Amino acid sequence: MEFLAKAAEWFIGLFQEGGNTFMGLVTGILPTLIVLITFVNAIIKLVGEDKVQKVATIATKNIVTRYTILPLLSVFFLTNPMCYTFGKFVDEKYKPAFYDAAVSFVHPITGLFPHANASELFVYLGVAEGLKQQGLPLGPIAVRYFIVGLIVIFLRGVTTEIITAKMMDKRVVSKNS
Amino acid sequence: MYRAVKISKGSGGFGGPLVIKPEPGKDKILSVTGGGISPVAEKIAEMTGATAVDGFKTSIPDGEVLLAVVDCGGTARCGVYPKKGIYTVNLTPVGQSGPLAKYITEDIYVSGVTEKTLAYADDKEALPTKQEVRATIDAAKKAKAQEPEKKGNIVERIGKGAGKVVGIFYAAGRETIDSVIKNILPFMAFVAMLIGIILKSGIGDFIAKTIAPYSGSLPGLLAISVIAALPVLSPLLGPGAVIAQVVGVLIGVEIGKGNIPPQYALPALFAIDPQVGCDFIPVGLSLGEAEPETVEVGVPAILFSRLITGPISVIIAYLFSFGLYR
Repeated sequence: MEFLAKAAEWFIGLFQEGGNTFMGLVTGILPTLIVLITFVNAIIKLVGEDKVQKVATIATKNIVTRYTILPLLSVFFLTNPMCYTFGKFVDEKYKPAFYDAAVSFVHPITGLFPHANASELFVYLGVAEGLKQQGLPLGPIAVRYFIVGLIVIFLRGVTTEIITAKMMDKRVVSKNS
Repeated sequence: MYRAVKISKGSGGFGGPLVIKPEPGKDKILSVTGGGISPVAEKIAEMTGATAVDGFKTSIPDGEVLLAVVDCGGTARCGVYPKKGIYTVNLTPVGQSGPLAKYITEDIYVSGVTEKTLAYADDKEALPTKQEVRATIDAAKKAKAQEPEKKGNIVERIGKGAGKVVGIFYAAGRETIDSVIKNILPFMAFVAMLIGIILKSGIGDFIAKTIAPYSGSLPGLLAISVIAALPVLSPLLGPGAVIAQVVGVLIGVEIGKGNIPPQYALPALFAIDPQVGCDFIPVGLSLGEAEPETVEVGVPAILFSRLITGPISVIIAYLFSFGLYR
């Protein structure tokens, strides 16, 4: 009898702990998140997609902005998954590289701008929760995640652009022979 | 010879039933599921007389797609095709969720589908293809929009302007709350349950002894990134970033308990993410209006590129973690 009671207590304990965690997430993270996302959503609507598209077409011109500014703009303003539609502004041969850069930025951006990918927040938030428990500020990690994210998507864009070009050449050769 | 087929939702599913029938020039079943054409897509193709196509290997113009078969856990893919006006079958039983939830409606989307929920139907029941329906709606909307607006006097215009701005803020708020309820809260519930069980059941100690030591050192993180970037695994690890999020939570728990030094948080974020979006390449490229040939080259190009850039991203993040939390 006592064993059963212990077992029941242990079982319910699992979910009490979960409940406490849930409470912590809802009261600790949600309020700021909601206000921040509302603000950014309003800004996006006020700016309007037309203006963003104009800047985007300029950003396609050179290799550096193509894999940094362009993905940043698209992920910030259109958010995941509609951000990939900005692929239409780049040449055919750059499309895989642009996709690679844009999709690789949908998590690094969430540290500072959670609206961009609200359904996948916990890649960052999961890790950030641990830092919070250690009593550490989240500013430094969010900023560094963002900056390293930009560097990584640039490298990724360039690498994929080169690989795509090589593979396209090979296809042309094999088709002609 | 084409035949009409009725696709009903499976247990726990949403939407439907859809009755589809191929037509000449619109007879492709697009299977956008990791690991080849899904048996359900194969079966639908066989029953209707349409052709099943692997969305990861080949790409076809949206106009030829009769039906898209996806296995989306509720983030992106399940909404992309309905948004384009393409009938969508989701093998995973999820309803209206994700950022594109508003496009997921019962008349275009059905989920939880298995081979058992397919049946032959009467040809007369076949629905018109959705793009035609959408086209007529769009045309009606355009006609409405063309009615010229009268310019009022200055007071009226200021009033209208202020009303517009307030309207925008209000709409932004509503969108946010929608997103919190549909996207953020469900994942919080899942994460809270996970953390509760890990902390209380002793699984946490097991993780601390086995996995945590790897994620607390550069070689360990590099190994994780290489595994996650393997072209065989990366498309399977991708969907909804669920695995990356769960691993993120696990690492967070270990950092919280002090088993992983906090400065490893930054490289860890990149180590668990080299597979990001690998499940979504054909869809993402077609959203960017890429030609079918580009998609065929793009999928292997990106998968291969990740093998190189995955580990490099961890090293860059490691270098940037110097001076963090010391």
